[in-house]
Amino acid sequence: MPAVRPAALGLRSSAVGRRHRRVEANIRGLEGVVTFFGSHHALRAEKLLLGAGQRAVLVPGPREISPNCGVALRFDHQLRDQVQGILEEGLVQFEAIHHYPG
Amino acid sequence: MRQLYFDNAATSWPKPPGVLKALGRYLSRGGGNPGRSGHARAIEAGRIVLETRELLAELLGVRDPAHLVFAKNATEAINLALLGTLRPGDHAVTGSMEHNSVARPLTALQDKGVEVTVVQADAAGRLAPEAVAAALRDNTRLVALNHASNVCGTVIDAAAVGRLCRPRGVLFLLDAAQTAGCLPLAVQELGVDFLAFSGHKGLLGPQGTGGLYIRDPAAVRPLAFGGTGSRSDREEQPEFLPDRFESGTLNVHGLAGLGAALRYLRGRGVEDVAAHDRGILSILLEMLKQEPGITAYGPGDGEGQVGVLSVNIAGLSPSEAGRRLEAEAGVLTRIGLHCAPRAHRTLGTFPDGTVRLSWGPFTREAQARAAGRGLLRLARDAGRAAGGPRAAE
Repeated sequence: MPAVRPAALGLRSSAVGRRHRRVEANIRGLEGVVTFFGSHHALRAEKLLLGAGQRAVLVPGPREISPNCGVALRFDHQLRDQVQGILEEGLVQFEAIHHYPG
Repeated sequence: MRQLYFDNAATSWPKPPGVLKALGRYLSRGGGNPGRSGHARAIEAGRIVLETRELLAELLGVRDPAHLVFAKNATEAINLALLGTLRPGDHAVTGSMEHNSVARPLTALQDKGVEVTVVQADAAGRLAPEAVAAALRDNTRLVALNHASNVCGTVIDAAAVGRLCRPRGVLFLLDAAQTAGCLPLAVQELGVDFLAFSGHKGLLGPQGTGGLYIRDPAAVRPLAFGGTGSRSDREEQPEFLPDRFESGTLNVHGLAGLGAALRYLRGRGVEDVAAHDRGILSILLEMLKQEPGITAYGPGDGEGQVGVLSVNIAGLSPSEAGRRLEAEAGVLTRIGLHCAPRAHRTLGTFPDGTVRLSWGPFTREAQARAAGRGLLRLARDAGRAAGGPRAAE
Protein backbone atom coordinates (compact mmCIF):
# COMPACT_ATOMS: atom_id res chain seq x y z
CA MET A 1 0.00 0.00 0.00
CA PRO A 2 1.49 3.39 -0.90
CA ALA A 3 2.27 5.60 2.06
CA VAL A 4 -0.18 8.47 2.56
CA ARG A 5 1.68 11.74 2.30
CA PRO A 6 1.05 13.89 5.38
CA ALA A 7 0.31 16.84 3.13
CA ALA A 8 -2.66 14.92 1.74
CA LEU A 9 -4.11 14.92 5.26
CA GLY A 10 -3.61 18.64 5.60
CA LEU A 11 -0.63 18.13 7.87
CA ARG A 12 2.91 19.31 7.32
CA SER A 13 5.49 16.59 7.76
CA SER A 14 7.21 18.55 10.53
CA ALA A 15 3.88 18.69 12.44
CA VAL A 16 3.48 14.95 12.06
CA GLY A 17 6.99 14.45 13.31
CA ARG A 18 6.43 16.68 16.32
CA ARG A 19 3.19 14.94 17.20
CA HIS A 20 4.78 11.53 16.86
CA ARG A 21 7.68 12.53 19.12
CA ARG A 22 5.25 13.99 21.68
CA VAL A 23 3.16 10.80 21.82
CA GLU A 24 6.29 8.69 22.10
CA ALA A 25 7.54 10.86 24.96
CA ASN A 26 4.21 10.61 26.71
CA ILE A 27 4.16 6.84 26.73
CA ARG A 28 7.87 6.31 27.41
CA GLY A 29 8.26 4.06 30.42
CA LEU A 30 4.56 3.24 30.55
CA GLU A 31 4.74 -0.51 30.26
CA GLY A 32 1.27 -1.27 31.58
CA VAL A 33 -1.71 -1.49 29.25
CA VAL A 34 -5.34 -1.65 30.35
CA THR A 35 -7.80 -2.86 27.73
CA PHE A 36 -11.51 -2.14 27.86
CA PHE A 37 -14.68 -3.48 26.32
CA GLY A 38 -16.09 0.00 25.67
CA SER A 39 -14.64 3.47 25.26
CA HIS A 40 -16.74 5.02 28.06
CA HIS A 41 -14.73 3.00 30.52
CA ALA A 42 -11.38 3.79 28.87
CA LEU A 43 -12.06 7.51 28.98
CA ARG A 44 -13.29 7.37 32.55
CA ALA A 45 -10.21 5.38 33.55
CA GLU A 46 -7.96 8.06 32.06
CA LYS A 47 -9.82 10.79 33.91
CA LEU A 48 -9.78 9.00 37.26
CA LEU A 49 -6.08 8.10 36.99
CA LEU A 50 -5.00 11.61 35.96
CA GLY A 51 -7.15 12.96 38.79
CA ALA A 52 -5.28 10.71 41.20
CA GLY A 53 -1.92 12.00 39.96
CA GLN A 54 -1.05 8.89 37.93
CA ARG A 55 0.43 8.94 34.44
CA ALA A 56 -2.12 7.66 31.96
CA VAL A 57 -2.22 7.94 28.18
CA LEU A 58 -4.94 6.71 25.86
CA VAL A 59 -3.53 4.97 22.81
CA PRO A 60 -5.08 3.05 19.93
CA GLY A 61 -5.64 -0.41 21.37
CA PRO A 62 -2.91 -2.88 20.37
CA ARG A 63 -4.83 -5.31 18.17
CA GLU A 64 -2.78 -8.29 19.34
CA ILE A 65 -3.96 -7.74 22.91
CA SER A 66 -7.66 -7.11 22.47
CA PRO A 67 -10.29 -6.98 19.74
CA ASN A 68 -12.44 -4.68 21.79
CA CYS A 69 -12.86 -0.93 21.88
CA GLY A 70 -10.48 1.19 19.86
CA VAL A 71 -8.56 2.65 22.77
CA ALA A 72 -6.35 1.24 25.48
CA LEU A 73 -4.68 3.01 28.35
CA ARG A 74 -0.99 2.97 29.09
CA PHE A 75 0.17 3.42 32.65
CA ASP A 76 3.21 2.87 34.86
CA HIS A 77 3.18 -0.87 35.40
CA GLN A 78 5.18 -0.56 38.60
CA LEU A 79 2.05 1.05 40.12
CA ARG A 80 -0.27 -1.68 38.86
CA ASP A 81 -1.95 -2.40 42.21
CA GLN A 82 -2.69 1.25 42.85
CA VAL A 83 -4.04 1.70 39.33
CA GLN A 84 -6.27 -1.34 39.61
CA GLY A 85 -7.58 -0.04 42.95
CA ILE A 86 -8.46 3.35 41.45
CA LEU A 87 -10.30 1.73 38.53
CA GLU A 88 -12.29 -0.60 40.77
CA GLU A 89 -13.18 2.16 43.18
CA GLY A 90 -14.41 4.24 40.20
CA LEU A 91 -16.60 1.36 38.93
CA VAL A 92 -14.61 1.20 35.70
CA GLN A 93 -15.13 -2.05 33.80
CA PHE A 94 -11.90 -3.14 32.14
CA GLU A 95 -11.09 -6.23 30.16
CA ALA A 96 -7.56 -6.95 31.35
CA ILE A 97 -4.35 -5.41 32.60
CA HIS A 98 -1.24 -6.36 30.65
CA HIS A 99 2.48 -5.90 31.01
CA TYR A 100 3.39 -4.69 27.53
CA PRO A 101 6.96 -3.46 27.21
CA GLY A 102 6.54 -3.08 23.43
CA MET B 1 -43.97 43.93 20.11
CA ARG B 2 -41.56 42.16 22.43
CA GLN B 3 -42.14 38.46 22.89
CA LEU B 4 -42.51 36.86 26.28
CA TYR B 5 -41.53 33.19 26.01
CA PHE B 6 -43.76 31.13 28.30
CA ASP B 7 -43.38 27.72 26.66
CA ASN B 8 -40.43 26.28 28.55
CA ALA B 9 -42.28 23.02 29.28
CA ALA B 10 -42.18 22.35 25.53
CA THR B 11 -38.56 23.40 25.18
CA SER B 12 -36.55 25.78 27.30
CA TRP B 13 -35.37 29.12 25.99
CA PRO B 14 -33.05 30.90 26.28
CA LYS B 15 -30.23 28.40 26.76
CA PRO B 16 -27.26 29.23 28.97
CA PRO B 17 -24.60 31.12 26.95
CA GLY B 18 -22.12 28.21 26.96
CA VAL B 19 -24.48 25.92 25.06
CA LEU B 20 -24.10 27.52 21.65
CA LYS B 21 -20.34 27.84 22.13
CA ALA B 22 -19.98 24.16 22.98
CA LEU B 23 -22.09 23.10 20.00
CA GLY B 24 -20.13 25.34 17.67
CA ARG B 25 -16.76 24.27 19.05
CA TYR B 26 -17.50 20.59 18.45
CA LEU B 27 -18.76 21.17 14.91
CA SER B 28 -16.16 23.73 13.84
CA ARG B 29 -13.19 21.80 15.14
CA GLY B 30 -14.20 18.61 13.38
CA GLY B 31 -14.96 16.43 16.37
CA GLY B 32 -14.72 12.71 15.74
CA ASN B 33 -17.03 9.83 16.51
CA PRO B 34 -16.68 8.67 20.11
CA GLY B 35 -15.63 5.08 20.64
CA ARG B 36 -15.10 4.44 16.95
CA SER B 37 -11.38 4.94 16.84
CA GLY B 38 -8.32 5.68 18.92
CA HIS B 39 -7.32 8.90 17.17
CA ALA B 40 -7.25 12.24 18.91
CA ARG B 41 -10.58 13.57 17.62
CA ALA B 42 -12.47 10.37 18.44
CA ILE B 43 -11.00 10.47 21.94
CA GLU B 44 -11.87 14.14 22.33
CA ALA B 45 -15.47 13.43 21.29
CA GLY B 46 -15.55 10.58 23.81
CA ARG B 47 -14.36 12.96 26.51
CA ILE B 48 -17.23 15.34 25.72
CA VAL B 49 -19.79 12.53 26.05
CA LEU B 50 -18.15 11.26 29.23
CA GLU B 51 -18.18 14.68 30.83
CA THR B 52 -21.86 15.22 30.02
CA ARG B 53 -22.67 11.78 31.42
CA GLU B 54 -20.71 12.52 34.59
CA LEU B 55 -22.37 15.89 35.07
CA LEU B 56 -25.78 14.25 34.72
CA ALA B 57 -24.81 11.55 37.19
CA GLU B 58 -23.86 14.26 39.67
CA LEU B 59 -27.13 16.10 39.10
CA LEU B 60 -29.30 12.98 39.49
CA GLY B 61 -27.35 11.36 42.31
CA VAL B 62 -26.24 8.40 40.17
CA ARG B 63 -23.06 6.80 41.53
CA ASP B 64 -21.94 5.08 38.31
CA PRO B 65 -22.36 7.33 35.24
CA ALA B 66 -22.45 4.26 32.96
CA HIS B 67 -25.99 3.66 34.25
CA LEU B 68 -27.14 6.78 32.40
CA VAL B 69 -27.78 6.02 28.73
CA PHE B 70 -28.47 8.66 26.12
CA ALA B 71 -31.47 8.72 23.82
CA LYS B 72 -32.86 11.28 21.41
CA ASN B 73 -35.47 12.45 23.93
CA ALA B 74 -37.43 11.43 27.01
CA THR B 75 -40.03 9.67 24.85
CA GLU B 76 -37.45 7.29 23.42
CA ALA B 77 -36.09 6.68 26.92
CA ILE B 78 -39.59 5.86 28.22
CA ASN B 79 -40.18 3.51 25.29
CA LEU B 80 -36.93 1.72 26.10
CA ALA B 81 -38.02 1.19 29.70
CA LEU B 82 -41.57 0.08 28.83
CA LEU B 83 -40.99 -2.01 25.69
CA GLY B 84 -37.81 -3.45 27.18
CA THR B 85 -39.40 -4.79 30.34
CA LEU B 86 -43.08 -5.61 29.79
CA ARG B 87 -44.09 -8.93 28.27
CA PRO B 88 -47.48 -10.51 27.55
CA GLY B 89 -49.13 -11.49 30.83
CA ASP B 90 -47.35 -8.73 32.81
CA HIS B 91 -49.36 -6.09 34.62
CA ALA B 92 -48.37 -2.42 34.66
CA VAL B 93 -49.71 0.44 36.76
CA THR B 94 -49.80 4.02 35.57
CA GLY B 95 -51.57 7.27 36.44
CA SER B 96 -54.31 9.43 35.01
CA MET B 97 -51.98 12.41 34.47
CA GLU B 98 -49.67 10.72 32.02
CA HIS B 99 -48.25 12.27 28.90
CA ASN B 100 -48.73 10.29 25.70
CA SER B 101 -45.05 9.34 25.90
CA VAL B 102 -46.15 6.87 28.59
CA ALA B 103 -49.81 6.34 27.66
CA ARG B 104 -49.22 5.43 24.01
CA PRO B 105 -46.52 2.77 24.46
CA LEU B 106 -48.65 1.24 27.23
CA THR B 107 -51.68 1.22 24.94
CA ALA B 108 -49.59 -0.49 22.25
CA LEU B 109 -48.42 -3.04 24.83
CA GLN B 110 -52.02 -3.74 25.85
CA ASP B 111 -52.58 -4.99 22.31
CA LYS B 112 -49.76 -7.45 22.93
CA GLY B 113 -51.28 -8.85 26.11
CA VAL B 114 -49.93 -6.54 28.81
CA GLU B 115 -52.58 -5.57 31.39
CA VAL B 116 -52.63 -1.92 32.43
CA THR B 117 -54.32 -0.29 35.43
CA VAL B 118 -54.73 3.49 35.43
CA VAL B 119 -54.76 5.04 38.91
CA GLN B 120 -56.97 8.10 39.10
CA ALA B 121 -55.50 11.41 40.31
CA ASP B 122 -57.71 14.14 41.80
CA ALA B 123 -58.92 17.18 39.86
CA ALA B 124 -55.72 19.06 40.76
CA GLY B 125 -53.57 16.25 39.39
CA ARG B 126 -52.53 14.93 42.82
CA LEU B 127 -51.97 11.17 43.01
CA ALA B 128 -52.27 9.29 46.31
CA PRO B 129 -49.46 6.74 46.77
CA GLU B 130 -52.01 4.51 48.59
CA ALA B 131 -54.04 4.32 45.40
CA VAL B 132 -50.93 3.06 43.59
CA ALA B 133 -50.40 0.48 46.35
CA ALA B 134 -53.99 -0.70 45.98
CA ALA B 135 -53.47 -1.26 42.25
CA LEU B 136 -50.47 -3.57 42.65
CA ARG B 137 -51.05 -7.25 41.89
CA ASP B 138 -48.99 -10.41 42.03
CA ASN B 139 -48.08 -10.05 38.35
CA THR B 140 -47.36 -6.32 38.46
CA ARG B 141 -44.03 -5.85 36.74
CA LEU B 142 -43.78 -2.09 36.56
CA VAL B 143 -45.24 1.23 37.74
CA ALA B 144 -44.85 4.14 35.30
CA LEU B 145 -45.64 7.66 36.52
CA ASN B 146 -45.18 11.26 35.56
CA HIS B 147 -43.09 13.08 38.19
CA ALA B 148 -44.73 16.41 37.38
CA SER B 149 -47.62 16.97 35.03
CA ASN B 150 -46.75 18.74 31.80
CA VAL B 151 -50.30 20.13 31.78
CA CYS B 152 -50.61 21.68 35.25
CA GLY B 153 -47.22 21.15 36.91
CA THR B 154 -48.50 19.04 39.82
CA VAL B 155 -45.66 17.01 41.40
CA ILE B 156 -46.33 13.54 42.79
CA ASP B 157 -44.67 12.02 45.86
CA ALA B 158 -42.38 9.78 43.82
CA ALA B 159 -40.29 8.64 46.80
CA ALA B 160 -43.43 7.24 48.46
CA VAL B 161 -44.18 5.24 45.31
CA GLY B 162 -40.58 4.07 45.18
CA ARG B 163 -40.89 2.79 48.75
CA LEU B 164 -43.98 0.82 47.73
CA CYS B 165 -42.41 -0.75 44.67
CA ARG B 166 -38.93 -1.84 45.72
CA PRO B 167 -39.88 -4.29 48.51
CA ARG B 168 -42.43 -5.93 46.21
CA GLY B 169 -39.92 -6.35 43.39
CA VAL B 170 -41.95 -4.04 41.14
CA LEU B 171 -39.95 -1.86 38.74
CA PHE B 172 -40.58 1.88 39.00
CA LEU B 173 -40.24 4.16 35.95
CA LEU B 174 -40.37 7.87 36.68
CA ASP B 175 -40.95 10.28 33.79
CA ALA B 176 -38.89 13.26 34.91
CA ALA B 177 -39.29 15.25 31.69
CA GLN B 178 -40.73 18.20 33.63
CA THR B 179 -38.62 17.91 36.80
CA ALA B 180 -35.01 17.16 35.80
CA GLY B 181 -33.16 20.44 36.24
CA CYS B 182 -36.22 22.04 37.89
CA LEU B 183 -36.27 20.13 41.19
CA PRO B 184 -33.39 18.50 43.10
CA LEU B 185 -33.51 14.78 42.21
CA ALA B 186 -31.61 11.78 43.56
CA VAL B 187 -32.37 8.35 42.15
CA GLN B 188 -31.60 6.58 45.44
CA GLU B 189 -34.02 8.71 47.43
CA LEU B 190 -36.70 8.38 44.77
CA GLY B 191 -36.29 4.60 44.73
CA VAL B 192 -36.58 4.47 40.95
CA ASP B 193 -35.42 1.69 38.65
CA PHE B 194 -35.69 3.95 35.61
CA LEU B 195 -35.71 7.72 35.36
CA ALA B 196 -36.38 9.24 31.95
CA PHE B 197 -35.20 12.79 31.28
CA SER B 198 -35.30 15.30 28.48
CA GLY B 199 -32.12 17.23 27.71
CA HIS B 200 -33.83 20.27 26.20
CA LYS B 201 -36.39 21.24 28.85
CA GLY B 202 -35.29 21.89 32.44
CA LEU B 203 -31.77 20.65 31.71
CA LEU B 204 -31.46 23.58 29.26
CA GLY B 205 -29.61 21.71 26.52
CA PRO B 206 -30.35 21.37 22.80
CA GLN B 207 -33.15 19.28 21.33
CA GLY B 208 -32.30 15.74 20.33
CA THR B 209 -30.88 14.96 23.76
CA GLY B 210 -32.41 12.94 26.56
CA GLY B 211 -31.90 9.62 28.25
CA LEU B 212 -32.64 7.04 30.86
CA TYR B 213 -31.17 6.09 34.20
CA ILE B 214 -31.16 2.30 34.40
CA ARG B 215 -30.61 0.74 37.80
CA ASP B 216 -30.34 -2.87 36.63
CA PRO B 217 -29.44 -3.36 32.97
CA ALA B 218 -30.37 -7.04 33.18
CA ALA B 219 -34.01 -6.02 33.71
CA VAL B 220 -34.41 -4.43 30.29
CA ARG B 221 -33.89 -5.40 26.66
CA PRO B 222 -32.43 -2.80 24.28
CA LEU B 223 -34.79 -0.95 21.96
CA ALA B 224 -32.20 -0.79 19.18
CA PHE B 225 -29.32 -3.10 18.35
CA GLY B 226 -26.28 -2.13 16.33
CA GLY B 227 -22.79 -0.74 16.25
CA THR B 228 -21.31 0.49 19.49
CA GLY B 229 -17.61 0.70 18.67
CA SER B 230 -17.08 -2.08 21.20
CA ARG B 231 -16.89 -5.89 20.91
CA SER B 232 -16.61 -5.36 17.18
CA ASP B 233 -15.56 -8.97 16.73
CA ARG B 234 -19.04 -10.17 17.74
CA GLU B 235 -22.49 -9.99 16.20
CA GLU B 236 -24.28 -10.08 19.55
CA GLN B 237 -25.17 -6.86 21.35
CA PRO B 238 -22.71 -6.04 24.18
CA GLU B 239 -23.96 -6.71 27.70
CA PHE B 240 -22.22 -3.84 29.46
CA LEU B 241 -23.29 -0.26 30.06
CA PRO B 242 -23.67 2.19 28.49
CA ASP B 243 -22.96 0.49 25.13
CA ARG B 244 -25.78 -2.07 25.49
CA PHE B 245 -28.35 0.71 25.02
CA GLU B 246 -26.44 3.15 22.80
CA SER B 247 -26.30 1.63 19.34
CA GLY B 248 -25.36 3.92 16.49
CA THR B 249 -23.61 7.27 16.57
CA LEU B 250 -24.60 9.54 19.43
CA ASN B 251 -25.76 13.13 19.07
CA VAL B 252 -22.32 14.36 20.14
CA HIS B 253 -22.78 18.04 19.30
CA GLY B 254 -26.08 17.99 21.19
CA LEU B 255 -24.42 16.31 24.15
CA ALA B 256 -21.62 18.90 24.03
CA GLY B 257 -24.31 21.57 24.36
CA LEU B 258 -26.07 19.65 27.10
CA GLY B 259 -22.78 19.41 28.99
CA ALA B 260 -22.42 23.18 28.90
CA ALA B 261 -26.00 23.56 30.14
CA LEU B 262 -25.32 21.16 33.00
CA ARG B 263 -22.25 23.15 34.01
CA TYR B 264 -24.48 26.22 34.20
CA LEU B 265 -27.02 24.35 36.33
CA ARG B 266 -24.30 23.06 38.64
CA GLY B 267 -23.03 26.60 39.13
CA ARG B 268 -26.45 28.06 39.73
CA GLY B 269 -27.84 25.15 41.74
CA VAL B 270 -31.10 23.33 41.03
CA GLU B 271 -32.42 24.47 44.43
CA ASP B 272 -32.03 28.05 43.25
CA VAL B 273 -33.88 27.28 40.01
CA ALA B 274 -36.68 25.60 41.97
CA ALA B 275 -37.02 28.60 44.29
CA HIS B 276 -37.01 30.95 41.30
CA ASP B 277 -39.74 28.91 39.55
CA ARG B 278 -41.87 28.96 42.73
CA GLY B 279 -41.45 32.73 42.93
CA ILE B 280 -42.78 33.19 39.40
CA LEU B 281 -45.68 30.84 40.16
CA SER B 282 -46.61 32.89 43.26
CA ILE B 283 -46.63 36.10 41.24
CA LEU B 284 -48.93 34.62 38.59
CA LEU B 285 -51.29 32.92 41.07
CA GLU B 286 -51.56 36.10 43.14
CA MET B 287 -52.40 38.20 40.08
CA LEU B 288 -54.82 35.74 38.47
CA LYS B 289 -56.90 35.08 41.57
CA GLN B 290 -58.15 38.69 41.34
CA GLU B 291 -60.10 37.76 38.24
CA PRO B 292 -63.08 35.40 38.58
CA GLY B 293 -63.10 34.84 34.81
CA ILE B 294 -59.78 32.98 35.03
CA THR B 295 -59.62 29.35 36.16
CA ALA B 296 -56.16 28.11 37.17
CA TYR B 297 -55.62 24.33 37.33
CA GLY B 298 -53.36 22.46 39.71
CA PRO B 299 -52.81 22.59 43.48
CA GLY B 300 -53.25 26.38 43.46
CA ASP B 301 -51.24 27.02 46.60
CA GLY B 302 -47.84 27.19 44.93
CA GLU B 303 -46.70 23.99 46.64
CA GLY B 304 -46.02 20.72 44.87
CA GLN B 305 -45.97 22.40 41.48
CA VAL B 306 -43.16 23.08 39.01
CA GLY B 307 -42.98 26.07 36.66
CA VAL B 308 -46.06 25.12 34.67
CA LEU B 309 -49.50 26.70 34.99
CA SER B 310 -52.59 25.92 32.94
CA VAL B 311 -55.48 28.37 32.84
CA ASN B 312 -58.72 28.96 31.02
CA ILE B 313 -60.56 32.21 30.44
CA ALA B 314 -64.35 32.23 30.67
CA GLY B 315 -65.95 32.94 27.31
CA LEU B 316 -62.80 32.18 25.28
CA SER B 317 -61.59 28.88 23.87
CA PRO B 318 -57.96 28.10 24.75
CA SER B 319 -56.95 28.50 21.13
CA GLU B 320 -58.63 31.93 20.88
CA ALA B 321 -57.17 32.99 24.23
CA GLY B 322 -53.69 31.86 23.22
CA ARG B 323 -53.91 33.58 19.86
CA ARG B 324 -55.00 36.85 21.44
CA LEU B 325 -52.40 36.62 24.21
CA GLU B 326 -49.71 36.45 21.57
CA ALA B 327 -51.21 39.15 19.37
CA GLU B 328 -52.13 41.59 22.15
CA ALA B 329 -49.48 40.95 24.81
CA GLY B 330 -46.69 39.07 23.01
CA VAL B 331 -47.07 36.12 25.39
CA LEU B 332 -46.09 32.81 23.77
CA THR B 333 -47.94 29.91 25.37
CA ARG B 334 -49.04 26.42 24.46
CA ILE B 335 -52.73 26.01 23.79
CA GLY B 336 -55.15 23.12 23.56
CA LEU B 337 -54.36 19.55 24.59
CA HIS B 338 -50.77 19.10 25.67
CA CYS B 339 -50.13 15.55 24.38
CA ALA B 340 -51.92 14.28 27.46
CA PRO B 341 -55.64 13.62 26.81
CA ARG B 342 -55.93 11.54 29.96
CA ALA B 343 -54.61 14.39 32.09
CA HIS B 344 -57.10 16.79 30.54
CA ARG B 345 -59.95 14.39 31.37
CA THR B 346 -58.68 14.30 34.96
CA LEU B 347 -58.61 18.09 35.17
CA GLY B 348 -61.95 18.44 33.37
CA THR B 349 -60.42 20.31 30.42
CA PHE B 350 -61.01 17.72 27.69
CA PRO B 351 -61.45 18.21 24.73
CA ASP B 352 -60.73 21.94 24.50
CA GLY B 353 -57.62 21.93 26.66
CA THR B 354 -56.00 24.87 28.36
CA VAL B 355 -53.67 27.81 27.88
CA ARG B 356 -50.41 26.69 29.39
CA LEU B 357 -47.74 29.05 30.65
CA SER B 358 -44.37 27.56 31.53
CA TRP B 359 -41.24 29.40 32.58
CA GLY B 360 -37.63 28.73 33.37
CA PRO B 361 -34.52 29.93 35.17
CA PHE B 362 -34.12 32.98 32.92
CA THR B 363 -37.73 34.20 33.15
CA ARG B 364 -37.78 37.52 34.97
CA GLU B 365 -40.41 38.56 37.49
CA ALA B 366 -41.27 41.60 35.35
CA GLN B 367 -41.98 39.25 32.44
CA ALA B 368 -44.29 37.18 34.64
CA ARG B 369 -46.16 40.34 35.69
CA ALA B 370 -46.49 41.40 32.06
CA ALA B 371 -47.87 37.97 31.15
CA GLY B 372 -50.24 38.14 34.12
CA ARG B 373 -51.46 41.58 33.04
CA GLY B 374 -52.04 40.24 29.53
CA LEU B 375 -54.19 37.43 30.90
CA LEU B 376 -56.15 39.78 33.19
CA ARG B 377 -56.82 42.22 30.35
CA LEU B 378 -58.00 39.42 28.11
CA ALA B 379 -60.30 37.99 30.79
CA ARG B 380 -61.86 41.42 31.46
CA ASP B 381 -62.38 42.01 27.75
CA ALA B 382 -64.00 38.60 27.41
CA GLY B 383 -66.19 39.33 30.44
CA ARG B 384 -67.34 42.64 28.95
CA ALA B 385 -68.00 41.05 25.56
CA ALA B 386 -70.17 38.46 27.25
CA GLY B 387 -72.13 41.20 29.02
CA GLY B 388 -71.07 39.87 32.36
CA PRO B 389 -70.89 41.72 35.67
CA ARG B 390 -68.01 43.82 34.38
CA ALA B 391 -69.92 45.08 31.34
CA ALA B 392 -70.88 48.35 33.06
CA GLU B 393 -67.34 49.18 34.17
